[in-house]
Amino acid sequence: MSETRIVITGLGAVTGFGFEWQTLWEKMLGAEHCVRPWQPDDVPDGAFAVRYAAPVDMSLLPEKLQGHPAWTTPLEKRSRFGWVAATQAVADSGLALEQLRGAAVLCASGAPQHMLADMLLTEAPDGSAPGWQHLMPRCADVSAEGSLCQSNDRLARVIADDLGCEGPVINISSACAGASQAIGNAFQMIRRGEVKVALAGGADSVLNLDTMAALYLLGAASGEQRWGADLCRPFDRDRSGLIAGEGGGFVVLESLEHALARGATPYAEVLGFGSSLDAYKVTAPQPQGRGAALAMQAALDDAGLRAQQIDLINAHGTSTPLNDVAETLAIKQVFAEHKHYRALAVSANKSQFGHLIAAAGAPECIVTALACLNDLVTPTVNLHDADEQCDLDYCAGEAVSRRVDYALSNSFGFGGLNTSLALGKYREHGQ
Amino acid sequence: MTAIARIAIAGSGCVLPSGWGVERFWSAAREGRSAIMPLQSSLFHSERVAAFGHVHDEDHQRSRKDVAQNLQRYCPPAVIWGVSSVRQALAEAGLEPGNDGLRYGLYCCQGGYTHPSLTSYGELLHECQTPTGADMRRLAQKVLQERALDPFLVLKSLSNGLLGIVSLALKLECECNAYMQGVAGNLAALREACAALQSGRIDAAIVVGAGSELDPLALAALAEAGVIGTDGSQSLRGFDLQGRGGIAGEGAAALILRRADDLPEGPQTCLSGLFAHSRVDSLNLPDKQVDLLIGSASGDPHKDADLARTLARTGAAHITSSTPLTGILSGAPSLVDLIIARQTLHAQSIAPVIGLEQPVNPHLPFVMGEPRDAVLHDCLVINRDDNGFSACYQLDFHAAD
Repeated sequence: MSETRIVITGLGAVTGFGFEWQTLWEKMLGAEHCVRPWQPDDVPDGAFAVRYAAPVDMSLLPEKLQGHPAWTTPLEKRSRFGWVAATQAVADSGLALEQLRGAAVLCASGAPQHMLADMLLTEAPDGSAPGWQHLMPRCADVSAEGSLCQSNDRLARVIADDLGCEGPVINISSACAGASQAIGNAFQMIRRGEVKVALAGGADSVLNLDTMAALYLLGAASGEQRWGADLCRPFDRDRSGLIAGEGGGFVVLESLEHALARGATPYAEVLGFGSSLDAYKVTAPQPQGRGAALAMQAALDDAGLRAQQIDLINAHGTSTPLNDVAETLAIKQVFAEHKHYRALAVSANKSQFGHLIAAAGAPECIVTALACLNDLVTPTVNLHDADEQCDLDYCAGEAVSRRVDYALSNSFGFGGLNTSLALGKYREHGQ
Repeated sequence: MTAIARIAIAGSGCVLPSGWGVERFWSAAREGRSAIMPLQSSLFHSERVAAFGHVHDEDHQRSRKDVAQNLQRYCPPAVIWGVSSVRQALAEAGLEPGNDGLRYGLYCCQGGYTHPSLTSYGELLHECQTPTGADMRRLAQKVLQERALDPFLVLKSLSNGLLGIVSLALKLECECNAYMQGVAGNLAALREACAALQSGRIDAAIVVGAGSELDPLALAALAEAGVIGTDGSQSLRGFDLQGRGGIAGEGAAALILRRADDLPEGPQTCLSGLFAHSRVDSLNLPDKQVDLLIGSASGDPHKDADLARTLARTGAAHITSSTPLTGILSGAPSLVDLIIARQTLHAQSIAPVIGLEQPVNPHLPFVMGEPRDAVLHDCLVINRDDNGFSACYQLDFHAAD
């Protein structure tokens, strides 16, 4: 095991709750959620089956962030959220720009934002295959804020360029586990001694017609309407699918030695990371949660922790019928000894700010770090009637004050990819 | 900069414009046969972008045999090539996941995302077009009620589709990662694979990259970015003053990495260093001179002259490039260069830079015309990325005693 300890020293989050992590934390402790009525741009009222989401509310943009270059640079929406979150995380860490020069930037930037108008450009007026003469002039009409003008690693690049980071710039593409994987990889890079500081997280926005239609047709996104905005109900008998959110989250990770040398106070310590594959189905988790259990166990092993030491699991908790049962079963497998799963707190952040898809793992890691710092666990809201197969303590309804020395933060993705981050309360003299 | 100790390339596989398998790739390279051909697309036609490194249909069909029928509906062609490349590499390494008792890691790099969904959406939107734009109510109705949009189109273009399908095809439950970033993605995948091997967490790493940019707007964007030329050229002239720009290619490549000490005695090509920098001219290169250098030529004489200045710093005895053979690859550029490096070191024979007649730097030892036999102990692979992230790999050859 490496001697190098890695701590989180800066947080930045953009979610439906607002543009600062402090707002996110405060609203979550207050058991609020930010799901509200939503429909894709340009689609007439009622024409689209998915009616609720947790979009970022630009009216909440604080004055101090109104001049951020993200809002005026030609970028996809996801990249704007990510850039703002990353800038905040750096400011929160107190790192000066010159201290970031060797830093790594690791991003998960999720699905490209297709502009429907752009896609029409590929068609010739008569529906035939167009020629180059037809295409090139039309390229000038392609939206600079759409996916066609943006490489997938644009967010990572723009953050690195803005902050002057000359370390590795890496774009992770592992679906809903992306941001968790970015943070896990950053942790590993610092532990290996490749860099001292890393900025890691992700950003995503799937709140557009094409991606939401696909998520709906695959049975992932909920088209349910009877619960109104209280639709995201992880582990509840009446859960009906994911509720998409949008936004971004970033954390600053650094070696403890580096952090202390500059007088920083860590929020929490990153202790381990694990990943696994289900090898079961592209669109469904392994029903017994085998892959999820492997990832959690790998994180525990990597951290040198025993299962009995874990106090909190920040669950993937998507509110989909399949995930929530499989994840519960996975937790029961990993924490079977002495039925430790009965002593655990399990919390599903997606019930409060929706599913941020590729970015999801970043704000969830932030919330986990804050739980370790403050000994407070945010609730799983809208959980009123737990599924009989979901029988853990999900902290339903309201925040819980309890000791959190060690926690896992789970993220799972389409394609059967699972990740788990192990975090711990920062202690001056080690774990 | 990452120095690594004795990570051997134990197997390799590829599906490239040159054909299915490393043998075909290496034969084409040795014989100086470019696989770039006139661009063929049902989506558009062009006299300006006239050539492409296509994977041939017969090679695609052969690759499909490596992917179960029920998985193929999730796969764009590049993912199928990726799975086939992995199976080739495992076979060469003599490995059989699940039955060999080894712990694996899977590290993937995908080159493109938008191709299938964009095309399909374009077709769908065309049906809903009105003189003033798209009829969105009709579009929403078609998508949701008539199920005109195949949801698998989105899965086919999932950024981690390659990772998911390889894991399903091989029943891999191992640690993993997925990147989408060209050269930098290849570098990140290789670095994580080497680190996992060195830490002892895994015994074998599968590193695979795949991609295709055969899409009208993707190619238009590459043309706008100056990555590919638009004067109708049919060949990519790498490091040549007569170069007229890049030509895109498609395909997949895979490597199996093992700790060299775990392998039986025999000739081995080992990765011994990985270097990266946002600027190619700032790459941290090894102090010692190397025998062989493989560089990613762009076909643009200005860019290639720029790259040649970095190549000159290495003091390499011989220089070659694979891009004039395959075109510029989006998903596996570094992996393909590592394959050619390994083949070259094992054969002690260097393939020429195809079509090179007037080098951008006449003092550099480019291999031109015919293959060149030489005693080769080590090699550097330098990949420049037009998105501003470049990589250098150091390889050592250990001949059997």
